[in-house]
Amino acid sequence: MEVISSVAHRILIIDDEDDIREVAALSLESVAGWDVVTANSGAQGLARAAECMPDAILLDVMMPGMDGPTTFRELRKNPLTARIPVLLLTAKVQASDQRRFADLGVEAVLFKPFDPLTLSNQIAGVLGWN
Amino acid sequence: MDTSEKTALSDAINKLWTQFLPQMRERVGILEAAAQAFAADKLSLAQHVEANDAAHKLAGALGSFGLTKGTVLARELEIMYSRENGPDPAMAARLGEIAAELRTILENRT
Repeated sequence: MEVISSVAHRILIIDDEDDIREVAALSLESVAGWDVVTANSGAQGLARAAECMPDAILLDVMMPGMDGPTTFRELRKNPLTARIPVLLLTAKVQASDQRRFADLGVEAVLFKPFDPLTLSNQIAGVLGWN
Repeated sequence: MDTSEKTALSDAINKLWTQFLPQMRERVGILEAAAQAFAADKLSLAQHVEANDAAHKLAGALGSFGLTKGTVLARELEIMYSRENGPDPAMAARLGEIAAELRTILENRT
């Protein structure tokens, strides 16, 4: 397995699904040793992002209320959070959805289900943290 | 990550599986009920939407718990339920078969 930088990055996971959020948090804490903060909605995610200033945000696409793309646009509007790298996390696999998400301007689109052993390497690779 | 750390991660994921199994069972229950309703030509719009949502969530989650086949099957259901006019009537039996397979996969995860 590729070795990830030991720097303790802070990452915010925004996902309304408890199971996904907890597996992702466990994975990033255990495998990479990152500091993980979580939010269960887009609105809570906006507040947490401004409070804790994470190094990156893992953002679910389909959420009730404020969905992932809307949350991303709101993050970009706030000068405090505008420059935080955002990676979308989605279970949508159709090519048209993937193009639509990539066009938003996020760092990357990652897919559910993810492998808990390799999720942090995927994120680190995208963000140049290896 | 050494072997003992991998084992610890695997054990922690197993604990999460136990924690979330009731929720997974509930989602499969929604799919079983929707398949039965569809076969009886009684699938409501609300039930249709709920089944699509349950299939989507299972597709996104099961693979992360090592149940890759479960993700493949749930995704097949999601595609069927995401048709604008509902599933193809010719696929009625398949809806029930997949829901039953998902139930077996859930209950047999060790």
